[in-house]
Amino acid sequence: MTDDDYGWRQGDRLVPAYAFTQGRTRTEGQELPLEALVTATELAVQNLPTLQVERGAIVRMSMRPTSVVEIGAALHVPAGVARVLVSDLASAGFLAVHLPQTTDGVGGPGQEILGRLLDGLRAR
Amino acid sequence: MDFAPVRGSRRPTPAAKRTLIPLKILVAGGFGVGKTTFVGSLSEIPPLSTEQEMTSLSVGVDDSAAVPDKTTTTVAMDFGRITVDDQLILYLFGAPGQNRFWFMWDELARGAVGAVVLVDMRRADDCFAAIDYFEDRRLPFAVAVNQFPGGPAYPEDAVREALALPPDCPLVRMDAREIRSSLDTLVILVEHALARSAHAGAH
Repeated sequence: MTDDDYGWRQGDRLVPAYAFTQGRTRTEGQELPLEALVTATELAVQNLPTLQVERGAIVRMSMRPTSVVEIGAALHVPAGVARVLVSDLASAGFLAVHLPQTTDGVGGPGQEILGRLLDGLRAR
Repeated sequence: MDFAPVRGSRRPTPAAKRTLIPLKILVAGGFGVGKTTFVGSLSEIPPLSTEQEMTSLSVGVDDSAAVPDKTTTTVAMDFGRITVDDQLILYLFGAPGQNRFWFMWDELARGAVGAVVLVDMRRADDCFAAIDYFEDRRLPFAVAVNQFPGGPAYPEDAVREALALPPDCPLVRMDAREIRSSLDTLVILVEHALARSAHAGAH
């Protein structure tokens, strides 16, 4: 994967990272984990031409499952900025968010998921 | 919100309808111990680096009000990705080992499968902080001694004693440059996490 897949290159940033988010680096409420996955909705695909360049890049990346941390790296912005951009797009109905499934919100995944992870790693 | 009103379907795309579950494993250890190599050997994407903000809490003084264009300091962190099956995607985070980065670890450790603590026995002290951290938080972890070429092979008992490892903590000798060796280390960690989870569920 190259930066070009998202339609821009390193150094192409048009405005400072924090200007994308009106200076916010934190989202309201629960922060998205770095590994939270997002996928583009049909609404986003239909409205892609109208989206601001960074938001359009995120939607294009999210045509396949992509995490908050990958979006931050591809856009060359800190993880907190990626979180805000992703949260805004999700609020607008442009991204579906897939959160970790932990046993109690703090601990790790449950046994069923751990078992599948083990099977998947052993099969490699 | 700064979006113009939009028309259209809110139906999800096929990708959005899939049940997707992100997972994460932390890779901890001292500077230069091989965290980047380990993550790189396993990742299906070119190893990437993310910038994480250091919060005012971690830097001690909040002077962001005085310097509006420089609200945070950032620190780089490696990560990689393994697509496990059609639903599970595993992320590996190479976490900086120094104490001043603990604020990042609290977030990283939340919901994690577990951690691999990489150790260079020539600088074993570098991993103590990570081992203490994971023990305190009861996060499953495995210790992986990264064998550097020409380095001495320490006996397992000596390593366990030197690192004061809990008896049930897996200890492996590995080579972070080899994908098979790195993958085996992950398998051993997940087996340990599953055994711990099953044990906890039985009580």
